[in-house]
Amino acid sequence: MSHLTRRAALSGAAAFALAACDRQAASPVATHINLYSARHYDADRAVYDAFTAQSGIEVRVLAAPADQLIERLTLEGDQTEADLVVTADAGNLWRIQQAGLLQRSTTPALEAACPARLKDDDRMWWPFTRRARVIIYRKDAVDPAEVASFDALAAPRFRGQVVARTSTNVYNLSMLAARIERAGADNARAWARGVRENFARDPQGGDIDQIRAVAAGEAQVAISNHYYYLRLVQSDDPADRAVAEKVGLVFTDQGEGQPGAHVNISGAGVTLHAKRRDAAVALLDFLVSTPAQQVFAGDNSEFPISDGTTLAPLLQGLGPFREETIPISALGRRQVEAARLFEDAGWR
Amino acid sequence: MAIEASPASLPAPTQAARPHRTAAPWGAIAAACAVLVCAGPALAVLAMALSAPPAAQDAALMRDSVLGTALLLAIGGGGATLLGVACATLVSVFAFPGRGFFAWALAAPLAAPIYVLAYGYSALTWAGGPLDWPLRGVAGAAFVYALGCYPYVYLATRAAFAAQSMCALEAARTLGATPISAILRAALPAAYPGVVAGAALAGMEIVADYGAAQHFGVTTITTGVFRARFAQDAPLLALQLAALLVLGAAFLMWIERRARGRRGYAAGPRWRPAALADAPRWFQIAATIFCAAVVALAFALPLGWLARLASLRPLSDVDGLAAPLFASLALAGAGALATLAFAAVAASAARHGDGWGRAAFLAAGLGYAAPGAVIALGAMSLYAVAREAGLVGGLSAGLGAALLIWAYVARFTAVGAQPLEAGLARVSRNVAGAARTLGASPLQRFWRVDLPIAAPAAAAGALMAFIEILKELPATLILRPANVETLAIRAYAYASDERLTQAAAPALLLTAAGLVPILLFTRALPRLRAGAR
Repeated sequence: MSHLTRRAALSGAAAFALAACDRQAASPVATHINLYSARHYDADRAVYDAFTAQSGIEVRVLAAPADQLIERLTLEGDQTEADLVVTADAGNLWRIQQAGLLQRSTTPALEAACPARLKDDDRMWWPFTRRARVIIYRKDAVDPAEVASFDALAAPRFRGQVVARTSTNVYNLSMLAARIERAGADNARAWARGVRENFARDPQGGDIDQIRAVAAGEAQVAISNHYYYLRLVQSDDPADRAVAEKVGLVFTDQGEGQPGAHVNISGAGVTLHAKRRDAAVALLDFLVSTPAQQVFAGDNSEFPISDGTTLAPLLQGLGPFREETIPISALGRRQVEAARLFEDAGWR
Repeated sequence: MAIEASPASLPAPTQAARPHRTAAPWGAIAAACAVLVCAGPALAVLAMALSAPPAAQDAALMRDSVLGTALLLAIGGGGATLLGVACATLVSVFAFPGRGFFAWALAAPLAAPIYVLAYGYSALTWAGGPLDWPLRGVAGAAFVYALGCYPYVYLATRAAFAAQSMCALEAARTLGATPISAILRAALPAAYPGVVAGAALAGMEIVADYGAAQHFGVTTITTGVFRARFAQDAPLLALQLAALLVLGAAFLMWIERRARGRRGYAAGPRWRPAALADAPRWFQIAATIFCAAVVALAFALPLGWLARLASLRPLSDVDGLAAPLFASLALAGAGALATLAFAAVAASAARHGDGWGRAAFLAAGLGYAAPGAVIALGAMSLYAVAREAGLVGGLSAGLGAALLIWAYVARFTAVGAQPLEAGLARVSRNVAGAARTLGASPLQRFWRVDLPIAAPAAAAGALMAFIEILKELPATLILRPANVETLAIRAYAYASDERLTQAAAPALLLTAAGLVPILLFTRALPRLRAGAR
């Protein structure tokens, strides 16, 4: 009898404890959130700290390249501690989504902030900044009108005068993916081959290395993301600022009948097995809020996600530009095809 | 096949105890243990590549990557070997101004990850840098590899010089040989196994490196693995390339074993410290200039430039580095201890065992030439198999840390096992025999006889593993516990995003943390000789 009672009491206590745990898990008041991020910017840390100050939720970050994050999330399965994945480039977001690692999430604030073209159809991830891929030219050698379109980089005018990073870089892959979507594979292959034939040297280094090469006279034009140029403009190193002085930036393909500048995004999505889903969604909301957008624009020189947001002075100085109109999902969908076309074209 | 070929080609060291057959089960157990733990991830990659249906071959990528790796091995590895041998010979044999300083300063570049050298040199020589001599492509990468990897050859060759009695050298001098010809005809041939062992280590580093090759835009087998896997979404091709790396590692290990097998010249029982040779004044000055130039190019110049970049940043940057420093030291410490344990198993198996034991030793080194990411992939695949079989759950934080330590062990056991094996070889046959006569079991003998004698070598092995883990990047990136960031990760994250000024401080701190064990290691080196106690 006493034995039985004790057992009953114990199981009762266990059930109570379980229920308590359950309530805790379901509670919207998480004390922290785990974030896997392929972005490693000081601006991001500032935004997370602001989120913590506002919500009381601590943001813990594991930063690694997107490829590694995908491997890790896949292996962790339902044991993952990650609630939100953050990465640059639509191609990366698409791959995380394809791996089945994200879940749908939406809020009125997110729907209102993000332009339709940049949203994921299934709402598995949300964009929060924009970056443009641009042409950098040396002011004393090139008239900006000569590089008004990316097509110009494949023309004989720039034989031996183009520098770019390797084709495995996701920014280049997404750029070519956009072209495949817009103009077809044959056009994209021919363009990549034309640019490769115009290379001043084999691709190496990052975008800033290309800008430096242009300033130093090793080439006349380079392909880069816009914020790398602005980073040189604001650099601690006077030599970097001297580089920025010598070069100019062109948003390409702005003319009538032209497709508009190639624009990519950074974005984030709630993981499939998120244990603090509500907090993760709250952080998504915060990422597109005006205070966060101002930090991304001011500290990191990225364009805000909403069309209406006032630009930081440096961004404003670049002038207005028109974006391409293809759906952002194409950048991911055509990623592998783009890699193959680059290989075909001999752009290593 | 390389693995099978090697035991037969490995004669017992002249000075060491002969293996005795009664220890066969111990050898077999150690072999099984080493194969499972140390070679497991690498073997998993091989097995996956072999069991998969033949992939649609990308002949161009295959050809380019093999060619790129071969070129870098030939030029970078060859350069590293020449530099290493030259420096080790100068420091070991001759008296010249600054010799004591250079003895350890020449090992210093080991503390800097190769990708840090690569970034430093591109900042120095590419457009916008102060030196107008752009290092690029294969030549640039080979230059950086030669400077970054020569210390492996330097240390191994110095150890080989230290282990041989200088009696032979002096005998050659007495017989009328000039100092130079005495070195060429007596000392260097005796140091040959050390030279080849160091060259093999340097080769494995070069083959496995991702960061520098990628930065200089050279297609190698290692960068090819990443390109196939991530850009082309061709996991099978990536596996085949990775398997090629593992086979390459086995081949380099085999070369290294063969070289060690030729210890025909090894020292007699009598040992005394060598008197440093006197050389003409001009030669001494040239030696000083040469060593200074090597240290400047491989260490002072690129890191000095990074220091200049770091000085452009506000001092508050340094505040955030305490946590990564602690994480780096903790991971490297735990990893080095685990590595040492398996290195001890492998090295004692190689010594006590028969063919099994020697196979165990080889298997234990299989992971060294594979890139960390491939090893992590192998470890994770084995884990996934275990999870599907219901043996383990999802990857929790604790399991992740265990996997990471496993990846370290799989990758760096070779680094710890080699000095340890050399140390164990110093246990003379008489001592071993006496222990056996007194009724000691193999385990007791290992614990009470072998280990105390081999302790300096064990410490040296652990220090080397510590330095390597401190610099390790890809496996740590994938497997580290959440919210943990090491100095290597911090430096790479900034550098790969082209913020070298911000990457400079963590990179310099990482290098400083590695310099301490290097100083300890180079001081321990003379004590690793044949008759030292």
